Amino acid sequence: MAKDMKVARGEAVGVVAAQSIGEPGTQMVLRSFHSAGIASVITTTGLPRIIEIVDARKKPKFPMMEIRLDKSTSKSYEKAKEVWKRIEEVKVSGVIDGFEENLKSGTMALHLSKEKTAQHGITGRTIASRLSKLEGVSADQDGDEIRVKVKDKDTKSIRTRFVKVLNSVIAGVPGIQKVVMQTNDNNEFYLTTSGSNIEGVLSVDGIEKDEVYSNDIFEVLRVYGIEAARNLIANELQKTINEEGITVGFRHLGLVADAMTHTGVIKSVGRHGIAGEKESVFARAAYEETVKHFTNASVFGETDMLKGVAENILIGKQIGVGTGRVHLAIKKEELKKIKRKD
Amino acid sequence: MAKSADTKCYVYLDGRIIGAVKDGSAFAKEIRKNRRAGLISGEVNVAFIRKLNEVHINADRGRARKPYIIVEHGKSKLTDELKQKLANKEIDFNYMIRRGVIEYLDAEEEENALAALEESEITPKTTHLEIDPASIFGLTVNASVFMEFNSVGRHSIALNFSKQSQGLYAINFNSRYDPRAFLLYYPQIPIVNSLAYRTLGLSRHPSGQNFVVALSTYYGYNMKDAVVLNKSAVDRGLGRSIFYRTYGDEERRYPGGQQDHLRIPPATTDGYLGEHAYAKLSDDGIVEVGTQVDEGDVLIGKVSPPRFLEEQTSFGVGEEKSRDNSVSLRAGEEGVVDDVMLSETTGATKIVKVRIRSVKIPEVGDKFASRQAQKGVVALILNQEDMPFSKDGIVPDLLLNPHSLPSRMTMGHMLEMLGAKAGSLQGTYIDGTPFSKRGSERINEYGHVLEGYGFDRFGDEELYDGRSGRKFNAKIFTGVVYYNKLLHMVSLKLQVRSRGPVQILTHQPTEGKPRRGGLKFGEMERDALVGHGASLSLKERMLDQSDKAEIWICKNDGDVGYYDYIKNVPVCQLCRGNNLERVEISYAFKLLLDEIKSMHILPKVLLKSE
Repeated sequence: MAKDMKVARGEAVGVVAAQSIGEPGTQMVLRSFHSAGIASVITTTGLPRIIEIVDARKKPKFPMMEIRLDKSTSKSYEKAKEVWKRIEEVKVSGVIDGFEENLKSGTMALHLSKEKTAQHGITGRTIASRLSKLEGVSADQDGDEIRVKVKDKDTKSIRTRFVKVLNSVIAGVPGIQKVVMQTNDNNEFYLTTSGSNIEGVLSVDGIEKDEVYSNDIFEVLRVYGIEAARNLIANELQKTINEEGITVGFRHLGLVADAMTHTGVIKSVGRHGIAGEKESVFARAAYEETVKHFTNASVFGETDMLKGVAENILIGKQIGVGTGRVHLAIKKEELKKIKRKD
Repeated sequence: MAKSADTKCYVYLDGRIIGAVKDGSAFAKEIRKNRRAGLISGEVNVAFIRKLNEVHINADRGRARKPYIIVEHGKSKLTDELKQKLANKEIDFNYMIRRGVIEYLDAEEEENALAALEESEITPKTTHLEIDPASIFGLTVNASVFMEFNSVGRHSIALNFSKQSQGLYAINFNSRYDPRAFLLYYPQIPIVNSLAYRTLGLSRHPSGQNFVVALSTYYGYNMKDAVVLNKSAVDRGLGRSIFYRTYGDEERRYPGGQQDHLRIPPATTDGYLGEHAYAKLSDDGIVEVGTQVDEGDVLIGKVSPPRFLEEQTSFGVGEEKSRDNSVSLRAGEEGVVDDVMLSETTGATKIVKVRIRSVKIPEVGDKFASRQAQKGVVALILNQEDMPFSKDGIVPDLLLNPHSLPSRMTMGHMLEMLGAKAGSLQGTYIDGTPFSKRGSERINEYGHVLEGYGFDRFGDEELYDGRSGRKFNAKIFTGVVYYNKLLHMVSLKLQVRSRGPVQILTHQPTEGKPRRGGLKFGEMERDALVGHGASLSLKERMLDQSDKAEIWICKNDGDVGYYDYIKNVPVCQLCRGNNLERVEISYAFKLLLDEIKSMHILPKVLLKSE
């Protein structure tokens, strides 16, 4: 940040950030438009996405990744397509034409589709061996058929096991439901996915491993750490706001992200996070759940040091923000005690 | 239902299934045929709903229905012969309903109909014909004029304004005691009116006046929906109205044999307002008719028994205490006592109504609106000498900013100016019933009339600046428009406060005009000051100009104490000590401490020397 953009000491940056985000925010309520027709992955946009970020939800409603391809693959369609195939998850149900199940004996016959297996480059043998690794499942290949047998005895658990078999991922990265290939301005291919699994994608060859992007904040926190999560929060906020045709200074969004992450964990804005963990009893009681905070304070004998803004407005003291930050260094009486040298 | 193999069409009567038929469409047609023949009541409506393959027959009450002329085989049933008979008054509307010429459709049956707006538009598919094209509008829109030339959204706005207009709301206004009433001094019948306006009899209680309007700016005094009024016109009675407000009270009886008394309260009553407040009351405790009354004057003197039962004194029931419960004039209002009415309720309690009258002369801040959804607030009342004038000596009553028109697309406003101008020259009323004539036809017609009287055929006038006497460079469109004075008048809204009453509970200033309250300094306003870092401005608003209080805090146990003015020492009620400190604090905080105490939590205020 430029030197002349530094804020003065005592500037109410929080309030200014809140107003700077809040005012344009009123214009975007319930007005999220979608571009139809273009093949793309679904993401949450507009106000719902901002609420999602600010509330620190554990999993976004529509997780999404953006994967750059490395030099060897990004220029060629075929090579890019290969990477795509390595990333998109393939379920058993995606490579079969049909199946027969016997709920009494706990056996199931999967009819492999030649087309689909060839498309994903999977053989019946690999499928069978993958399935055998599942708990309580044994599988054998028999031509275009895979015979599956499960250990369970009662019909209900046999049925649930069958569903698990059909939904088990046999190729690709688990959690990446759909991949869309797009080109950027330099005619380089890149992949957008719905579903996020950073660790899984990092183990795939042919991608630019330094430029994997996910919109799942908690996953980024787990894989890359708190600084990355902080940047993601701020960037996602800016991206979502900019999509609405509104611009908000990044410093305000950065402040929000800092407030959410400065403790090393992600805290939501609101009752269960930042506002609920304020030091001052009065500030918390003024926000939400007044009685709870007062009773707890009395039980633990809390003391409010009256340092924040809300408390001082409540009791009628000058607030310690802006002009209220400045104090006399020496009192008048003290000044008299100092003797002149001459 | 529709899925089953035999595609039965279910028939509903007033929402209940009564059976099924094979061909719903034919069944509905059959019912209609019988209805038109008079075999079934004309109040029955039937609709075939293709989407659901159902027939809905409605015969219940509460359906809005609209009459249409029946069209069969591409021909209107209202023949020229019938029209002639109708004109000769040989037949009437009911005759045509009986004979199946006109029928009423409800909302559901309308879905099966295709109505033509005009007879010339009838195609083989047409089933009905509108009696009049204007009937696609409601009554209120029809009562206005030229509404077909305005954009649709303007209709409901114009309708809203017409509801707010002052006029002659009732002929018996002198014997009515409406809580609030407005009466225009010189109401006029609009020069341009419509069929519905005349049919509804609205000309018998009109609600506006015909203003001479010039479509011109005036040095920024009519920017943004402001208007300039002619002072001489105002002096002649333009837009002058009366405002009535009725105050009422009654002598209520209370359990225990006590009751209110209408009288001048004796000086010993609780809450006695002082002698001057009751000065205008006559001996019976009620103001006299014709008295000029001002803010705070008591209109009806009343004493009530105390709210709570008193303790018995040793001498039995002592002197009965009473409290003042008088009705006084509202804050910020004045007027003359117009009428006093005394009566009794069915419960034999005495009731009083006092009607106050005040004259409202148009002033800066009053609101006016034309019937074309063009409202404006008076921003300047200009001497006639300074107003623009024409060579004939015509001076407009009102200057309307031309920028009000293009964005709102109220072409009806311009047409009304032209039409009413022609009408006033001719000395006739002009008919402005929606869809009765084409716009070009009207412009030609009015233009022809104007030319005949030596005016510009487009209504333009050469106007001269009243201040310099020089002719304006441009010709200015001038005409006559029917303007309503709306009931939003500044004199009923204006309010100021520097110091004033505070709430008992919080010691904060009161809110709202009747309580002489201040404007709320809310959360967002507070945040704005915090955001600017204006900490002393904030403290001034939240404390000094609000609920500043000085309380005593015990230095030993941090509790709120009090000052004993007999011994001249502060006292702490917890330790009974006198070691207290005077602290400046918001009263709301003291109240909060009290409320926390009420939850069995003892808050302590720890003091630190600054």
